[in-house]
Amino acid sequence: MHPTTKRYHPAMIAVDLISFIKGSVGIVLILFIFKATSTATWVVWGRYIFIIVCIFTLIWTILQWMFCQYEVTQNSVIERKGVFIKSHRTVPFSSIHNHKSNTTFIHRWFGLTSLTLETGTSGEHANFTFPVITAKEKRHILILLEQPQDQQNGEEPQPVIERSIHFQSNKKDLIKASFTSLSFLAFFPLLSALYFNLAELFHIENSAKNTFDYLLIHWWMLIIILIIAIILSVLFGLFKTFTKYGNFVISDDTDRIYIEKGMGNVVSYSILKHRVQAVVVEQSLLKRLLSLVEVKLISAGGSEDGNDQDTNSLYPFMPKKQAYQVLQSMLPQYVIEERMERFPIKVLWLKLLHPYYVTILSIIGLAIFKREWLWIAAFVFILSVTSRILDYWFTSYIRHGKTIQIRKGGFVNETFVTHHERIQQISIKHSWLQRKFNVATLVFLNRAKPMHESRLYGLSKEEAGTFYTWYHGHSK
Amino acid sequence: MYININEPKREISSDAVKVWRMSNTIGHIIALVIIAILFICSERFEWYSWVSIVLYCLGGLAMLSGIYSILIEPVYLQRTWRYEIDQEFIQLKHGRWNQQHILIPMEKVEYVRTEQGPIMRRHMLYNIEVGTTTSNHVIPAIPAEEAHLLKAQIAVFAKIKDQENGEGEKEHASNN
Repeated sequence: MHPTTKRYHPAMIAVDLISFIKGSVGIVLILFIFKATSTATWVVWGRYIFIIVCIFTLIWTILQWMFCQYEVTQNSVIERKGVFIKSHRTVPFSSIHNHKSNTTFIHRWFGLTSLTLETGTSGEHANFTFPVITAKEKRHILILLEQPQDQQNGEEPQPVIERSIHFQSNKKDLIKASFTSLSFLAFFPLLSALYFNLAELFHIENSAKNTFDYLLIHWWMLIIILIIAIILSVLFGLFKTFTKYGNFVISDDTDRIYIEKGMGNVVSYSILKHRVQAVVVEQSLLKRLLSLVEVKLISAGGSEDGNDQDTNSLYPFMPKKQAYQVLQSMLPQYVIEERMERFPIKVLWLKLLHPYYVTILSIIGLAIFKREWLWIAAFVFILSVTSRILDYWFTSYIRHGKTIQIRKGGFVNETFVTHHERIQQISIKHSWLQRKFNVATLVFLNRAKPMHESRLYGLSKEEAGTFYTWYHGHSK
Repeated sequence: MYININEPKREISSDAVKVWRMSNTIGHIIALVIIAILFICSERFEWYSWVSIVLYCLGGLAMLSGIYSILIEPVYLQRTWRYEIDQEFIQLKHGRWNQQHILIPMEKVEYVRTEQGPIMRRHMLYNIEVGTTTSNHVIPAIPAEEAHLLKAQIAVFAKIKDQENGEGEKEHASNN
């Protein structure tokens, strides 16, 4: 058996320090490179303070590592940490909704990985993270985690059941993805930033003008340079897409869904099937033209910081048909209905009747501060009318059996599918104006992080009543 | 009845009107006093002229909102508030111009607690707050005895459901 309590691998210090260095690159650049010759008081003091902070961080990181211990038992993880303030935390496996792991380049050097267990609660301590962990131990924890929860005691963890693979990204997919995501455009700002930096460094402004004249005469050279720039940017886009979405694998077994992706920086994610709260299908304008979709699984776990939001996404550039097939075979209870009906046209008039607050505010603001720009208010008005029409055009709703599906949109189309028992609460509202039009607003909440609110404005009052009774009646 | 559903029936205490009137009056007086102090300051220390204009507007708005929330709102809110609690659901309804119906399944309830301010204590009333995984709701102004009974009831209903649910959520409806 594994020893009971232990420290993390010392590589944790390196991982922490490297993330500290990454975070302070900007400060270093300012203090030691851009202002290298400066003797201003704040720069000199800044350098001293920065060095002191560095030393403290180093000591603090080592202390934190020394005082942090963890223990993995049959059905929970226990962590004791804290240099001055001690904390003791127990996370039972039964409260884990999903887990993900992220292997960065640094982890790879040490032959390690990281693992985050996500619970359904909110707040600071919602997630449990092993910053560094060996692959072997991670497997051990995952096996413990994935065993059926009702027979936690005594039994040895069973081997994992065969997984079936539903999707694997190939080169063609990735090339398509890199063009759809327009990631090659990201190269241009980089290029221009590079140019301006170099220009400042070598004072090439003057000579650049001459070069440009020269190029205008020899126009074929201009074309060659342009082609090279385009090729470079495409290569850059491909590189970005390949590192992010390369080796994309979606697989599942009877209980769980697994998503793995990335080259170099490998991210893997797993969620229990019965913990999926809802499914969202997203389509941007470009994806609609190419009939690609992004399918997202909504779960109560998940990080709140939001910078790695797309971990819960099935491959974001999947052809629609294939995406629906994959979804169908993994989560047969989530059926996406393509034919949806719009609300009657009177709802559009109702939406247009609402006061135009933004327009009114912009008229007042412009009238006070910039009278000659008053025409901007007209633009604002046209924009808000257009957005209301688009909003009406794409809003639709369907309910069949225990499934409810709503669609909203405009430039980005979003279809949300969930189940009766996944809805946390519903509310129906109607204002005086809505009653004149015989409609109501339906709002329902789903667990997610942060919670997901679906709001349907303009549902007919009959359907609102039926929906209420449907929700009220079903669980009896 | 605008929407054809099983509407909740139970009413909240008629003393709610007094409580809300009292607390709204106090709140608005405090707001007006602060605005008045700021106004005096801006005159005395010659702040920018737009400050006093803004303060005038705020004062006017506070007066209007005072008239609404002291004279009108408490009466009609008390008359329209309805709730119903059974084994399966909590049903809430309030408002007349903007009517709202809320339906919460018992199995999603995570905690329930009662709450009482100094004004409510004088009338022996409690607010009941019900929290779910995603939001929380308040049933206002329930007479003391009824409130304790309701709290216990909700706790029992929610707890039973939680165990049957077996999803492994550790949070239970707590009796504080």
